[in-house]
Amino acid sequence: MKLLTSLLLIASAAFAQDLVARGADVYVKSCATGYCHGLKGSGGGAPRLASRGFDEAFITRTVRSGITGTAMPAFGTTLARLDLAAVIAYVGSLNGIAPNPALAAMLRGPPARTLPPEAARGRALFYEASRGFARCATCHLVDGMGIAVTDAITKVPANAAELRGVSATHVATATAGGEAFPALVLSKGVTQVKVYDLTIAPPVLRVFPAASVTIQEGSAWKHASATQSYTDAELDAIVAFLKAVVQ
Amino acid sequence: MAAMKFTVLGLLFAAALTAQPTATTADWPSYGGTHAAWRYSALDQINASNVAKLAPVWAFQTGDYENGLQSTPIVVDGVLYLVSARSQVFALDAASGRRIWEYHYALPRTPGTNTQNRGLAVGAGKVFLGTYDDYMIALDAKTGAEVWKVAVDDQRQCGCAITGAPLFVKDKVVVGSTGGDGAFRGYLTAFNAETGRLAWRFYTVAGPGEKGHETWKGDSWKYGGGATWMTGSFDPALNLIYWGTGNAASDLYSGDRYASDALNGVKPGGVNLYTASVIALDADSGKLRWHYQEIPKDVWDFDAAYECVLVDRMVDGKMRKLLVHVNKSGYTFVLDRVTGEYIGAFPIVENHNWTSGVTKDGKFLDIVEPVEDKPTLICPGPAGGKSWNQMAFSPRTGFIYAPVLEQCAQLQARRQEPSEGRVYLGGTWAETSPPGGVVHSHLDAYDPVTGKRAWTYPYKYVLFASLLATAGDLVFTGDPEGFFFALDARSGKKLWSFQTGAGHRGSSVTYSVNGRQYIATPTGWGSIAGRALLNTWPEAEAFRSGSTLMVFALPEAK
Ligand code: HEC
Repeated sequence: MKLLTSLLLIASAAFAQDLVARGADVYVKSCATGYCHGLKGSGGGAPRLASRGFDEAFITRTVRSGITGTAMPAFGTTLARLDLAAVIAYVGSLNGIAPNPALAAMLRGPPARTLPPEAARGRALFYEASRGFARCATCHLVDGMGIAVTDAITKVPANAAELRGVSATHVATATAGGEAFPALVLSKGVTQVKVYDLTIAPPVLRVFPAASVTIQEGSAWKHASATQSYTDAELDAIVAFLKAVVQ
Repeated sequence: MAAMKFTVLGLLFAAALTAQPTATTADWPSYGGTHAAWRYSALDQINASNVAKLAPVWAFQTGDYENGLQSTPIVVDGVLYLVSARSQVFALDAASGRRIWEYHYALPRTPGTNTQNRGLAVGAGKVFLGTYDDYMIALDAKTGAEVWKVAVDDQRQCGCAITGAPLFVKDKVVVGSTGGDGAFRGYLTAFNAETGRLAWRFYTVAGPGEKGHETWKGDSWKYGGGATWMTGSFDPALNLIYWGTGNAASDLYSGDRYASDALNGVKPGGVNLYTASVIALDADSGKLRWHYQEIPKDVWDFDAAYECVLVDRMVDGKMRKLLVHVNKSGYTFVLDRVTGEYIGAFPIVENHNWTSGVTKDGKFLDIVEPVEDKPTLICPGPAGGKSWNQMAFSPRTGFIYAPVLEQCAQLQARRQEPSEGRVYLGGTWAETSPPGGVVHSHLDAYDPVTGKRAWTYPYKYVLFASLLATAGDLVFTGDPEGFFFALDARSGKKLWSFQTGAGHRGSSVTYSVNGRQYIATPTGWGSIAGRALLNTWPEAEAFRSGSTLMVFALPEAK
């Protein structure tokens, strides 16, 4: 609702001014350091932005998508939409252009996803950096983040107990150099065998000459060992998150 | 008696095994030359008397031209290993430049990645590569084939990247990462060299239950910075790994992270542990043995992430095991590397106004901090009184050689909400010239204990390449204009110079194959910091990028 009101207001001169002011704020936080574009677009490690004769389409494209092969990030995915429009308006103002009502069009995209509170809490837990390698994201890529050690999660367990007890049918036992270890086999070629060594998190992708390793089905590895850092309540929240994002 | 003799012999043998190699000889086995990080070679075929005849013998173009070439080549048994900015690895015949193998890492091409790679580690028959997207990879040194690969972190989440060279220590490989100017909690991670399995991880920001955690306000430790973005050193006799840690985050604004002295009984000298510190870790367990915080509360992005140079020198009539360490503040610190005891600090920059000086026990006086309501001129600025390019130490002259940068910045603090993995500077700055002058560099020779400057080589622009010292009493480095040159290690007089066709931002090394000494230097400008500082000069636009290794030797006798 609030966003909609903003969109309607964007055409008004007062709002244009507000937008540029907001953009100046976003700019200082995200673009102005000495490593990057400098205060008021004066230039630094990255090019000057003031009085360059840029047009709004160019600014919009560059700010949203970044420039591949350079330090210029794509802000389209990291800035809130209003902030994005604001910083575009601000850089426009450094080039003598007033915000165009068409900026509003850019702001209309699919609405930002909002997760229900429990799922949002689960999301934070899934990736929680303070757990080090004892977090789900060490082995699972979900919702665009995390390491894809396993195939994409397709079946979401019903609750914490089921999550701890996820069967590890694909985990085999590899023996190499006289040592046996739990392994997720990636490929078994004539010359090479590639496995994820699950002995300790993070899993290690190891490549063996085929002759030097044997693979046996089944292992003593338990998914419960990978979920230990979480309480049941935390795992329930994670289940809510997975339900919200896994198709 | 026999048993006694055996023990003595055994001890001697053990001592020989753990004696610290300091100078390099035929090989250039690790990032800093040896684990003492001297960047000094005992080779003296090329020396002050004949360096004028030095000529190029081969060149290797990596083909990876986007971001220059910042790396340190590694040379083992006549094979030179080189990594380019986008994590492509090359094994070359060190005498001829012939390509033996190459490994192309498929680095994701995403906008906003200023990819760099400053070097490899080689050991246990493997080449260790840290990638910009946070993988550690071991390659077979003979074939370049992947042996193992492990995700250290997820760049999409942490905003961090591995750009520094890993350190191979005994049976492990240790690696740090960038990320400390974002909302990120720094760490060092060690992997088993054979299997890639995790050996240990040390967080540079003390977490709940850890000593030092009380120096963080609230939850600020979660995004406290302390990135380990350069490469450490190792003392085998003490079994200690030394590493410098980066600034606390948010960089310029400390209001949300500084647990006041009164609240927690924190002694000055211990704020936001263990950021902006030198840490000494047990090489086997990764446990902290000692730390010395150089910049308590760091609100200037001064970091303390640079090289730890391990030297033994006389201090007040006693031989001491020392660690010499410079950070961006422009001060060089001298510590006892057994205990971490502070021995002294001296400025190497001429322009320093953030403190009026340092006391006998290492406290900085009259500190100037950035404030929220207006910009404050602070020298040096966040680009640092020295950048990451490494210094060198020569035992023959007893000098450390340091590339120094004279620059300042207008700093302004600004409270900021952290968002994981995103920029978290807590303010902003604009690079400026020092009062009454322009940004410039000098390369100096110092006595590392007294801080007395023996000579200085002034330079108009910025010196952003590492230094190499040799027993031929030469100091080599390159400049952004493309000149690679040699100075007399005793006087600083320029003895030789060669136009390589591209600016210098990497680290040169020396080695020998079949009795012939070679000097190799990466060329290829391409540097954000360099660009920011060179805004003063329109002609700097002409400094060439590229990515070529140039190798020099004396002409062979006919
Ligand atoms: C150390 C690695 C590791 C960690 C950490 C880990 N998992 Fe797993 N997970 C696995 C492996 C391996 C499998 C696949 C077992 C198989 O298929 O045999 C798996 C399977 C699953 C499955 C079943 C997927 C399907 O489609 O059948 C779910 C769901 C799951 N994990 C969720 C989680 C959650 C949630 C966390 C965090 C609480 C987590 N995992 C932590 C390794 C890990």
